[in-house]
Amino acid sequence: MSTSNANFKNKCVTQVNCIFCESLLCTRGMKAVLLADTEIELFSTDIPPNRTVDFVASCYSTESCKCKLRDIACLKCGNVVGYHVVAPCKPCLLSCNNGHFWMFNSEAVSTLNRLDVTGLNLLLWGDLPELDDSENEESESPLEEECIR
Amino acid sequence: MAVVPDSGVLTFSIFKWSSYSSTYLPENILVDKPNDQSSRWSSESNYPPQFLILKLERPAIVQSITFGKYEKTHVCNLKKFKVFGGMSEENMTELLSSGLKNDYNKETFTLKHKIDEQMFPCRFVKIVPLMSWGPSFNFSIWYIELHGIEDPDVVQPCLNWYSKYREQEAIRLCLKHFRQHNYTEAFESLQKKTRIALEHPMLTHLHDQLVLQGDFDVCEELIDKAVRDGLFNQYISQQEYKPRWSQIIPKCNKGDGDDNRPGMRGGHQMVIDVQTETVYLFGGWDGTQDLADFWAYSVQENQWSCISRDTEKESGPSARSCHKMCIDSQRRQIYTLGRYLDSSVRNSKSLKSDFYRYDIDANTWTLLSEDTSADGGPKLVFDHQMCMDSEKHMIYTFGGRILTCNGSVEDSRTSEPQFSGLYAYHCHAGTWSLLREDSCNAGPEDVQSRIGHCMLFHTRNRCLYVFGGQRSKTYLNDFFSYDVDGDHVEIISDGTKKDSGMVPMTGFTQRATIDPELNEIHVLSGLSKDKDKREENVRNSFWIYDIARNNWSCVYKNDQTVKENPGKALQEEEPCPRFAHQLVYDEMHKVANAHMFPGGSCSPTEVMWCSLSVFSLARFEEKAQSEPLSALKYLQNDLSLTVDHADPEETKEFQLLPSALFKSSSDFIPLGFSDVDQTYAQRTQLFDTLVNFFPDSMTPPKGNLVDLITL
Repeated sequence: MSTSNANFKNKCVTQVNCIFCESLLCTRGMKAVLLADTEIELFSTDIPPNRTVDFVASCYSTESCKCKLRDIACLKCGNVVGYHVVAPCKPCLLSCNNGHFWMFNSEAVSTLNRLDVTGLNLLLWGDLPELDDSENEESESPLEEECIR
Repeated sequence: MAVVPDSGVLTFSIFKWSSYSSTYLPENILVDKPNDQSSRWSSESNYPPQFLILKLERPAIVQSITFGKYEKTHVCNLKKFKVFGGMSEENMTELLSSGLKNDYNKETFTLKHKIDEQMFPCRFVKIVPLMSWGPSFNFSIWYIELHGIEDPDVVQPCLNWYSKYREQEAIRLCLKHFRQHNYTEAFESLQKKTRIALEHPMLTHLHDQLVLQGDFDVCEELIDKAVRDGLFNQYISQQEYKPRWSQIIPKCNKGDGDDNRPGMRGGHQMVIDVQTETVYLFGGWDGTQDLADFWAYSVQENQWSCISRDTEKESGPSARSCHKMCIDSQRRQIYTLGRYLDSSVRNSKSLKSDFYRYDIDANTWTLLSEDTSADGGPKLVFDHQMCMDSEKHMIYTFGGRILTCNGSVEDSRTSEPQFSGLYAYHCHAGTWSLLREDSCNAGPEDVQSRIGHCMLFHTRNRCLYVFGGQRSKTYLNDFFSYDVDGDHVEIISDGTKKDSGMVPMTGFTQRATIDPELNEIHVLSGLSKDKDKREENVRNSFWIYDIARNNWSCVYKNDQTVKENPGKALQEEEPCPRFAHQLVYDEMHKVANAHMFPGGSCSPTEVMWCSLSVFSLARFEEKAQSEPLSALKYLQNDLSLTVDHADPEETKEFQLLPSALFKSSSDFIPLGFSDVDQTYAQRTQLFDTLVNFFPDSMTPPKGNLVDLITL
């Protein structure tokens, strides 16, 4: 998925806006690269963006790995701005990552580095308070009976 | 002079809008730029009312509307919308109610532009989005084009007709108002001057006899004649079916143990012989093992009889469930094909698809084939469908999941399930032909196979109708027909446009039957999966599909799930929702028997029409005011005869009637300006009720002048 654990405390907290309609998407973004293809830059966040995006279409997987993904779109303009990792695959989960499951495509967003309380320094992820890890994953339908009789 | 006027693109401008968000202005719909995500109108929210009102440069006949799209699918596309049109902003009529597919293709829809074959013009067109493909997202429209006729030579006469039509309807409303209030002179004067008819002469005569003369006998004759002349047929055909469940409790003779009725089971099969009104039941699964018992139920006698406790012992099929049967009523033969084998026994038992026929009169089983697959027919399948074509002596089977041998336990889970295609069996020759293979292609003649679907054969138009079903984890919504003589597939609905609530929910274990005479398909649904709620609920719902009109209507829906009301009395009124049940249809007697333990049936209700009782009641009520004693005698003697005392509703209504004898006439409040008395008012009300049964072309306008007045 993304960069290693040790580094992320020093990363900047970015504000993420929709590039199409300029509405605010998220205030806790982190610039990262895709594990599967380090050429691809994106912005990730840990908490589900609230009331700014919603899911579109259904789950899918890419060729690079077996992670189950689902696209998200900006609620204001309906354009796809990123995706959510519904269920990570084993290899990705075991490798180093920042533990974020919500991603924004860099071409779909415009970002701003946030400043800390003083207004003089950049706000870093290390400065942010810890969060409860309460992910709201999709529940799969239970294994269905082969034949109903 | 049959010159078809040219239809062209109409020029319009944006007149009004409900809202817009960001840079997504209404004007953007005038431009078609599919690759620009900003070239659209987008509402500010999806809270109603949201709309766009377009103003045409000139009044025109608006014949069609085209929606442009974005180059990719987009959640803001309109899943549901309505289009209105009219000559003025306040006075618009609905021209279209539909939805867009969520793709990148332009879509064109025909708009209503005629009233009774006469074209009418519009100056304003209003587009009202109702739902987008992503329920939480706003509405977007990318591009709009309107097509129609602008030529003044064509439009002007239509405008003239439209004005004249409005004028005429206004006068008719006045006439109706005058007559209701007995302003006789005004009525006659207006009618004489304009020569406009308020209604068909027959109804004028009825009004005269009923309201003015109060001659109920003549009125009865007039209504009787109307019924005989078929004038009420349009009304009757539009009436909804009313479901009526009645539990069938078969007779059991004294001394018989539990053996005189089939035990509880699922995955069994039932067929009905409509000629002898006998239902045949074979096989099934009792929770522990497959069954091989064979029963017949006589509808007339209301009694089960066991034909065989174990058909295998009589050269018939071994115990099985999830097989399919069909009956050839003409030749009095029953066929059975397919069965389900648990994965644990699939390796040990033979996977040959045996095919049997039972001759009712000879009471013998014949093995037609040890393995239909070897004969060019289907492999061993379960949850398939089978239909009988008695006329050409053919059997059609489609779908079902093919049972395969497992290499190991792991393999059975991960291997792709295979589904069986469409096959025909020529009974006379005893041969099979493959008509359509299972195909995931979307060609016009391709069919996708599935399990748990419904398939019915229409004996009149000689088509197979297939709908619903499941393919692995996907629930299929499509509906297609197959012309058996022409070898042609016709897609009725590809299942992408879904109006939730307007068509049966994607369900599994739907059971359907067909009536070729009424041209209807009846569907009873058990287990159904509500895509939005993501639960699987067992609920009863009964739907009727009108083949000619291509529309579904829900006759009955039980919204309660099994868990919600375990102890409720509902279970006594109707069978509790269930699945793996069976449904047979007696098309001769128009009764559907849903074989559900303990059993149930429902029938369409006839229109409750009794002209005699309507006039008898009117007579009674008028007498009650003037001659109470005579009215009482009338009630006890004449009226009582017309009541069905076995019907609790009718009896209750009858018992309430005597209260009219004690009502004082001061209950009636005369309206300020007219001299209408209670009798006149009641008779007018009765007339208005009777008018509803006649076709609209004969009746006065439905509205009333006073309703146009707003505070």
